Amino acid sequence: MLDAVKPDLDYHALNAMLNLYDGEGRIRFDADRMAARQYFLQHVNQNTVFFHSLDEKLDYLVDEGYYEGEVLAQYPREFLYAIWAAAFKRKFRFPTFLGAFKYYTSYTLKTRDGQRYLERYEDRVVMVALALARGDQALATRFMEEMLSGRFQPATPTFLNAGKKSRGELISCFLLRIEDNMESIGRAINSSLQLSKRGGGVALMLTNIREAGAPIKGIENQSSGVIPVMKLLEDSFSYANQLGARQGAGAVYLNAHHPDILRFLDTKRENADEKIRIKTLSLGVVIPDITFELAKRNEDMYLFSPHDVEKVYGVAFSEISVSEKYAEMVEDKRIRKRKINARAFFQTLAEIQFESGYPYIMFEDTVNRANPIAGRITMSNLCSEILQVAEPSAFNDDLSYARMGTDISCNLGSLNIAQVMDGPDFGTSVETAIRALTAVSEMSAIDAVPSIRRGNDLAHAVGLGQMNLHGFLARERVHYDSPEAVEFTSVYFAAVAYHAIRASNALARERGSTFDGFERSRYADGTFFDKYLDRDWLPERAEVARLFEGIDLPTRDDWAALKDAVGKDGLYNRNLQAVPPTGSISYINNSTSSIHPIVSKIEIRKEGKIGRVYYPAPFMSNDNLEYYRDAYEIGPDAIIEVYAAATEHVDQGLSLTLFFPAEATTRDINRAQIKAWKSGIKTIYYIRLRQTALEGTEVQGCVSCSL
Amino acid sequence: MRDMVTGAARAINWNRLEDEKDLEVWNRLTANFWLPEKVPLSNDVQSWATLRPAERELTIRVFTGLTMLDTIQSGLGAPSLMGDAITPHEEAVLSNIAFMEAVHARSYSSIFSTLCSTAEADDAFRWSEENPHLQQKARLILDEYKAGADPLRRKIASVFLESFLFYSGFYLPMYWSSRAKLTNTADLIRLIIRDEAVHGYYVGYKFQRGLEQVPEAERAALKEFAFALMFDLYEIEARYAEELYDGIGLTEDVKAFLHYNANKALQNLSYEALFPAAACEVNPAILAALSPDSENHDFFSGSGSSYVIGKAVATEDEDWDF
Repeated sequence: MLDAVKPDLDYHALNAMLNLYDGEGRIRFDADRMAARQYFLQHVNQNTVFFHSLDEKLDYLVDEGYYEGEVLAQYPREFLYAIWAAAFKRKFRFPTFLGAFKYYTSYTLKTRDGQRYLERYEDRVVMVALALARGDQALATRFMEEMLSGRFQPATPTFLNAGKKSRGELISCFLLRIEDNMESIGRAINSSLQLSKRGGGVALMLTNIREAGAPIKGIENQSSGVIPVMKLLEDSFSYANQLGARQGAGAVYLNAHHPDILRFLDTKRENADEKIRIKTLSLGVVIPDITFELAKRNEDMYLFSPHDVEKVYGVAFSEISVSEKYAEMVEDKRIRKRKINARAFFQTLAEIQFESGYPYIMFEDTVNRANPIAGRITMSNLCSEILQVAEPSAFNDDLSYARMGTDISCNLGSLNIAQVMDGPDFGTSVETAIRALTAVSEMSAIDAVPSIRRGNDLAHAVGLGQMNLHGFLARERVHYDSPEAVEFTSVYFAAVAYHAIRASNALARERGSTFDGFERSRYADGTFFDKYLDRDWLPERAEVARLFEGIDLPTRDDWAALKDAVGKDGLYNRNLQAVPPTGSISYINNSTSSIHPIVSKIEIRKEGKIGRVYYPAPFMSNDNLEYYRDAYEIGPDAIIEVYAAATEHVDQGLSLTLFFPAEATTRDINRAQIKAWKSGIKTIYYIRLRQTALEGTEVQGCVSCSL
Repeated sequence: MRDMVTGAARAINWNRLEDEKDLEVWNRLTANFWLPEKVPLSNDVQSWATLRPAERELTIRVFTGLTMLDTIQSGLGAPSLMGDAITPHEEAVLSNIAFMEAVHARSYSSIFSTLCSTAEADDAFRWSEENPHLQQKARLILDEYKAGADPLRRKIASVFLESFLFYSGFYLPMYWSSRAKLTNTADLIRLIIRDEAVHGYYVGYKFQRGLEQVPEAERAALKEFAFALMFDLYEIEARYAEELYDGIGLTEDVKAFLHYNANKALQNLSYEALFPAAACEVNPAILAALSPDSENHDFFSGSGSSYVIGKAVATEDEDWDF
């Protein structure tokens, strides 16, 4: 593997030059383009298996067990020739080194020894299109066009796996409840192993597990609380990975009013004891409104024993709105409780975020108020963008189901805002994406975890995301932290919501069925649509109207018609939108991540599989750098405003990361959290910090360096 | 610390600073505190298995070499500088430096115990004890750390160790990480580099303040000593690098990196560069790999090297205005 360093630079060195200014202090974009080119010349082309014809290629890949023959068998050969020819005719080229490198290291089909490439980018796109279209030629062509033009990008598991014979699942993301008994805990660990093995990220809710020191079978001081469960889960995720392709990953959520909350947070302390330290498991805290109210009044907050709450109310702790029942539970002698200072709790939260970036936060009451579906949302997922209702399961002694509840899976894919805005038909792009995501849901049946399978079968929930907001705005010479950016976001997301609902309504008509529980949803009674009938969600500023020129935006009349159609035929998908952080896929797709600002003009990307690689923000040149101020320069307020505008129209959540300089204090983080909660943000993902160089110790001439 | 004149014990008062730099560096060092346990080194086990035996041996050897330098710096270097401290605050900063050097030395053992067998690590430790170049450079530095040695010469030796001698070793994990190998180990090494950069800078700064207090002739003598020591160390380093890196053909690249860092070490002492820019053309992949922050990683497979211990400030009523 050690290639000797040649006198002329190899592609890694060329790529790294992006991060070093040239003699005139300009960024060397040309070096990265050269790196991409050299990567093909020196590496990809030499290591790609050559086939004389499409027939030879497909026959070989099917015979050798690389491709799923059933996928291709749904189409006549003539169609396959045509779609492949159409794909290659587009002359796709990766604009950045990282895009190409990431694709070839992590996505493309390789020979079993991992040494040679069997697919080019066009092959992967066509196979994904063919697999998802399930024999529908017109749809396959539409999927191919949306993907190859960069307008729609399926999430990693779908894009990586579709059409391959030996593969993981197409779905990325799972959420499991854990109830307060050993059967449920054991089953959850088993499910985590099974889902990890299949390539998913798994989040688990710990809120219902009784705290350390709680009685078991009436004997005091018996329970060990949530920490040992977290340890078991962490080890399970390290053990299981998707054929080595992705590290298993997990998150756990705990309600702020659980008695183990401080212990839970301390697992991420820099000086935590090895026995309780949690390294790779992600943490999330569920915070109700009452916690903010108590902190405002500088009062103590009570923590309640989940075991007692369940005994008193007859339902699990997570099913209780703490805000609603707080006073009642404080007064109830049957519920064991202890107290901590509410402001001190928020400060501790921020301290831990400084040290580790964790925990994520879910604002429980905000989430449930905005939820159009009947039922309670009690947790989120590994990227804090999935927000769906689930039902508890109960188990027999042999771990079979006494009552099968529903757990959550969500398959994701994102639109590239710049490409969709440039595209020929905004509404069709959204609809095609919803159809592709629905196909993934319909094609998935996770039998290893029956409650997940049942949840998916009943809900067909999908999550359409967005990326490249900052890239698009900068290209159009609009600053991310401007009123125009906020208005653009609001109008854009309203239009996406309209077309996503329209597509799901069309699917309900075609399939003749709706998601389970539609009749109890706010879509069915029509109240969901009120805010779209009360006012317009159209551009007001000329600058924003200019951005939408040539795009047909939904009017109040359109919304009213949609309301009627939904009332008549329903919706096929229980959930439609969720905005994920988009790591890898945004590099392949030449986008900025999600709807965040860029983290740096030249982003340093590190991953186990690709090492350290440098990525220039899309559409950036030495002439428009002023529009590429990074997230640390832009600061949390503007990010929260943009996200609040988008949140308004997203039925699930959005992964929102906040960025601070290392000189910030816990108070700055707390203030941003308060602002986020006040602005109607549903979840906060990571807190990220950047340390500026101590004068005299910086690496000279480096675009992103500050030691 | 005792008062120089009266001999009375004195309590350190951080609100009466004689040199603002002491507090600035103290704050930076404490914010940067870390322990190796935070880095999920075990995620590198699979990647370690893809290295060839010769590459593995090289890597272990490089790390034992680094362990030795950190051991010297923690046990002798920083403590001996403490005796020369002018202010109690400087002494406190140096005690932090001494401790973190011990953490660094400890970290390499974490890498060994995670990635390789005890026998492999023991072999490498034996190698480091028997390697003439490694022993020779240790001796040169240790001579200056001896009791009774000149305080400013001691600082020169310390800066050379922190800002120059480490880098022949740091090169390799940076190289691996640019090739997608041992990326978590590289994270840990970057945390060490983050510390060493501040250590070298701080001791160099104190050297410059000390230099202002001595007569011209002594200043000239010190400069001559510094360059002579650098020449000696460079010669040893060059041979050390050849012995380690010739086998895989990276020596020229490592040497350019040595030149670059030798110049940085001299710069910390306020001296001019020794090597011309053309000799310092470090492979961009290595140079860019040095920057620890604003790295975007997927949090699921690594912990990164950019988190710090934050400053806790309580919220006020006005913050809860809703």
